Amino acid sequence: MEERFLHLEERRVQLEQRRLELEREHEFRMFGVFAQMLSILKEGTRMPQGPEQMSGVFSELSDPGTKHLQGSAYLSNRGNDIKFKRGVTEEYIEAYFADKYDEDENPNGIINFGISENKLCFDLLSKRLTQSDMHHIEPPLLQYSGWRGHMFLREEMARFLTYYCKAPTPLKPENVTLFNGCISVFSGLATVLCDPGEALMIPTPFYGEISKSIYLYGNVQLVFAHLDSKITETNTRPFQLTVEKLEMALQGARSEGVRVKGLILINPQNPLGDIYSQGELLEYLEFAKRHELHIILDELYMLSVFDESATFHSVLSMDRLPDPQRTHVMWGTSKDFGVSGIRFGALYTENRDVSSAVAKLYFFHGISGITQYQMAQLLRDRDWINQVYLPTNHSRLKAAHTYITDELKTLGIPFLNRNSGLYIWIDLRRYLHMDTFEEELLLCRRFLDNKVLLSCGKGFQCFEPGWFRLVFTDKIHRLRLGKHGQLSPAFISKLVHCGVHSSTRYWINYLELEGTSETTSSNPLIVQMRKLRPT
Amino acid sequence: MFSIFKQEARGLATSPASSSTQDLGTNCGEGLDSESSEKTDKEPVDFYGLGDPAAEFSQMSPYLSSRGSIIKCFRDAAEEGYKAYHLDEYDEDKNPNGIINFGTSENKLCFDLLSSRLNQRDMHHIEPPMLQYPDWKGHMWLRDEVAKFLSYYCKAPVPLKPENVVVVNGCASLFSALATVLCDPGEAFLIPSPYYGAITQHVYLYGNVRLVYAHLDSRVTGMDCRPFQLTVKKLEIALLGAKSEGINVKGLILINPQNPLGDIYSQERLQEYLEFAKRHELHVIMDEVYMLSVFDESAVFQSVLGMDRLPDPQRTHVIWGTSKDFGISGFRFGTLYTENQDVANAVASLGCLHGICGTVQYQVAQLLRDRDWINQVYLSENHARLRAAYAYITEELETLNIPFLRTKAGFFVWIDLRKYLCSDTFEEEFSLWRRFLHHKVLLSCGKAFECKEPGWFRLVFSDKIHRLRLGMQRIQEVLEKEPQGAKTLSPCQSLEKSSQSR
Repeated sequence: MEERFLHLEERRVQLEQRRLELEREHEFRMFGVFAQMLSILKEGTRMPQGPEQMSGVFSELSDPGTKHLQGSAYLSNRGNDIKFKRGVTEEYIEAYFADKYDEDENPNGIINFGISENKLCFDLLSKRLTQSDMHHIEPPLLQYSGWRGHMFLREEMARFLTYYCKAPTPLKPENVTLFNGCISVFSGLATVLCDPGEALMIPTPFYGEISKSIYLYGNVQLVFAHLDSKITETNTRPFQLTVEKLEMALQGARSEGVRVKGLILINPQNPLGDIYSQGELLEYLEFAKRHELHIILDELYMLSVFDESATFHSVLSMDRLPDPQRTHVMWGTSKDFGVSGIRFGALYTENRDVSSAVAKLYFFHGISGITQYQMAQLLRDRDWINQVYLPTNHSRLKAAHTYITDELKTLGIPFLNRNSGLYIWIDLRRYLHMDTFEEELLLCRRFLDNKVLLSCGKGFQCFEPGWFRLVFTDKIHRLRLGKHGQLSPAFISKLVHCGVHSSTRYWINYLELEGTSETTSSNPLIVQMRKLRPT
Repeated sequence: MFSIFKQEARGLATSPASSSTQDLGTNCGEGLDSESSEKTDKEPVDFYGLGDPAAEFSQMSPYLSSRGSIIKCFRDAAEEGYKAYHLDEYDEDKNPNGIINFGTSENKLCFDLLSSRLNQRDMHHIEPPMLQYPDWKGHMWLRDEVAKFLSYYCKAPVPLKPENVVVVNGCASLFSALATVLCDPGEAFLIPSPYYGAITQHVYLYGNVRLVYAHLDSRVTGMDCRPFQLTVKKLEIALLGAKSEGINVKGLILINPQNPLGDIYSQERLQEYLEFAKRHELHVIMDEVYMLSVFDESAVFQSVLGMDRLPDPQRTHVIWGTSKDFGISGFRFGTLYTENQDVANAVASLGCLHGICGTVQYQVAQLLRDRDWINQVYLSENHARLRAAYAYITEELETLNIPFLRTKAGFFVWIDLRKYLCSDTFEEEFSLWRRFLHHKVLLSCGKAFECKEPGWFRLVFSDKIHRLRLGMQRIQEVLEKEPQGAKTLSPCQSLEKSSQSR
């Protein structure tokens, strides 16, 4: 046993050396990327042009269907609409997929700071998802699974949300509907809450995919409540959401004859990273109740609050909801477990009408039975989540966040300092020649030409040109994290604290992981997978 | 030991039981076919019908939009039966008095094979791209495998291209997406009836697209050499009828092998249907979801992808999935093959709403590429088991003197219980269906397939023999209580003979 341990130790040291080499290369590369960013920014530097001009527009109606290139004779009008419905930077994302950075195969490829995915914990997830308890198959998993997902998973989901949202009383499995991702939940909710042409309200900047998800099938639009960065008496922090702004946007929309049926809130917010306080949340909910608006709470990042000083309050934790029948909460595994490819999301609502109407659309948003089983196993493994996954994930997020924010400070780039999410909202306004979104897009393009993908503010319907979202959770950081996170004295002492046994297990896990990728690469499909890039 | 599904049954039992049987009853009565009992066969208007899925919708919820209320109240017969079944599933040990399911078209004969294949080590691989956002057309390596798979099994004259493949979470999603990108709200697809009834909601719920029925019937005339034969003339009549009512028909849906009839279209027939569609600039959606479930070796299935020249390739879209042919409807995997890049891209734009788990995509790719296992283990065994089950059930039907259409494909037989109805109405049909259900055997009634003639049922036989035996016993017990012979129906007998001879 001891010999084996020593042997493992030896391999660990070798591995560590190899990793350190890689880290050095990657750090070098990271500096390169930042240097590039800096030079791009310098090229475009302009002198700040006095105070920001603010127009009085606080509400605006999105019209996702206006940009038509040329219609196809084979498609219906809405088919053409859908085909050409693209986000502002979708083209850039495609460019990224065609030229993805890969340390070995494409070292000059595009580095992805654009797509909000947590790639820091792939080792943990991949290990957990390949444990033998995940490989169970029985007939019902291969057959039709009813209209809201398997009951065993709905029960697990209810328990999970009860625990992590700190619900005052246990949440009910009957109120859970499972879909293949939260985007699908948005589509379903928009369709059953609004008729075509009606609208939901949302504060901007916000995660831009929401406009698409409610428009594609639902033909539902968004009314924007624009937030801005100016600090005033009521605006004590940049982009602060206030009920006053919501009221103004709602009045604006109503005066134009737009029927607003609900309010969408993202908490923790994407892209700002804001976490709403309990008091704020209550104000927003009261506002919605006053106007008989449904409220859709997207709490997709609830477990990605990586700083202990910040406290997240789920609406499900509130003792009394102002309007429970109009409050609908969604959560999924994409962000908090870094598995956006699993396609798993859940809706929690006490409203039976809403949940049964949404369930009718389950046909189109079904999840494989095997995946449902695996998700149940994952969500019920409280020990692993609390003792392994969340602490590691949070410490890695924190380290990556610290690294990036230090770099940003060095570069003199202002940013909003928040302690949640996978991204930072950075202010590059002074690098635009003019205060226009064309300029912003040009800067975005220049980043891409220099092999960095960032998301520009326009993609989030930000009202002020020049803001960008920088996602800091890409794989390259994971290697760097090896030094600062996993092997830091603090980390090692933590491991010792948890017991030598678990630390050994950790390394065995790691070694096995290394091993599997080598042995399975003889599988032609995997070899092919590695070669093939989406076109 | 393992109890997740016991919990499920309990959970469902505690949820309020649906008062749906009543809904269904009124639904049956309200259908546009209720007048067809008056036998107006000679009038062409009887040969087509227009589906109005919102017709039975009644109550409005204060929390929902109007369409939300319609969606919520949307019911179909198959769903009701399935729910009843789900609350009281037959299990040889735990619930021997539970409902035997002859209603849901699932192949339960090969679970052992699939489960052992899916449990093999090669299925448990994970790497980063599978856990990350995919290309919404599906991972390229899977689309590659699908193209190879379809080239091989559809006998494509030239290799099919991965670029033309879009994969989503099931064929229902494909119907929804295709309906949405090919039709504007209120427009329609043409479909011969009887047909797999769920298509109605697949195209309607999100898409707000309706179906125009080309009604087929069981009468054997000079023109038709078998019951329920699809002819171009019937398609023409239905299309004309719809046009005269101002309905904009954008495409034709064909299911081949057909569900519920089990028909396999010959190459010549197929060509005629495709030519018809081309003449009218109609898209053709070919649902070939049973293509590998042709269990009789004497039958030849012709995929449209195997044709040397398609009349209108830019308007021909093929659907296939693993649900039926691999008996894994819980997998949620469906694929579209179309040469039309506009259509493929538009469907892919909706792909973010129909995504499949990355590891499941990997498993499907592993499954589809394992040609040795499919050809040497799975298909031969599956077909042998389907043949045995079919032989058993048809013998039983003959013993009971129940006429049926002989078939060489699919999991079901289309049986003729018209002589057991007191009158030629869908109320009667529904009441018989309900008597079956009360006697713990679930069948699908013809109305669920928009069949024009009351009294036809679909019986799914792809289950273990002992269940088939028990189910047939229960059917017999119900029918023995029926006023049998109340109507003397010789057409059934002649039908039986003619269908046997084909």
